Amino acid sequence: MRGGVISFAVNGIHPHDLGQFLDSHGIAVRTGHHCAWPLNRKLGVAATARASLYLYNTESDIDALVESVGLAEKYFGTK
Amino acid sequence: MQLDNLYQEVILDHYKRPENKGLASKYDVQVHHNNPSCGDDITLNLKDDGAGHLAITWDGVGCAISMASASVMSDLLSDKSPEEAVHISNEFLALMQSKGSLAGDETILEDAVAFAGVSQYPARIKCALLAWMAYKDASLQVLNRRR
Repeated sequence: MRGGVISFAVNGIHPHDLGQFLDSHGIAVRTGHHCAWPLNRKLGVAATARASLYLYNTESDIDALVESVGLAEKYFGTK
Repeated sequence: MQLDNLYQEVILDHYKRPENKGLASKYDVQVHHNNPSCGDDITLNLKDDGAGHLAITWDGVGCAISMASASVMSDLLSDKSPEEAVHISNEFLALMQSKGSLAGDETILEDAVAFAGVSQYPARIKCALLAWMAYKDASLQVLNRRR
C-alpha cells in the first residue's frame, strides 16, 4: 500500500501562515487538524500542513513545494 | 490576492517581537480562549493598577495573525480605561467585519489598522479577533467585580 499524502510541520511557522504563503505561490495544501485532533495532540503540534500528491503531480511540483517552503521560512523570519 | 496586504510589516514585527507576552504572576482576572478548529490558544491576565487602567499580559500559541493581534491589542489597551478599551475594541471589530471596505481610523486603532487586510480573508478574521475577545471577556469580569 502506498500513499502520496504527507503531513508536515515547519519549525516556527504556524501551518495556517504556511498554507496562506504557499497558496499565494500557487501551491494548495490543507492545513489544520485534518479531523485527527487527538493525533495532533499526541504529536505535540498545534496543527500541520498536508500535501496530497496524485497521478497528475510531477517532480517539478514537488520542487516548487520545497522551494516555496524555503521562501516561507525567509518571509516569516525563521531562517 | 497580495500576501503583503495580509502580512503587513507591522504584523510580522509584532509576531517576531511580541509586546506584553509572558504572564504576570499577579492578576485580578485570568481568561483562556482558544480556537479548537485551528489550535490558536491564548491566556490573558488583567491587573487593575488602581489608576483606572487594566494592565494586560498574555501568552499563547498560534499563527502570525493571532499572535501579532494579541501583541498589538495589549500594547494599545493597557493604558486605556475599560470604557475606552470597549470603544477601541468595537472599532476593531467593525474593521474586521468590513470585508475590505474600511481602512481603519489610525487615531483610534494606531498599529491595529495594519490588520485591515485581514478582513478580506474570511478564514483569518477569527485569528485576528481571538485576543480581543479574550480581553473583552476578562475586562467584563473586572467591571462586574467592581459593581
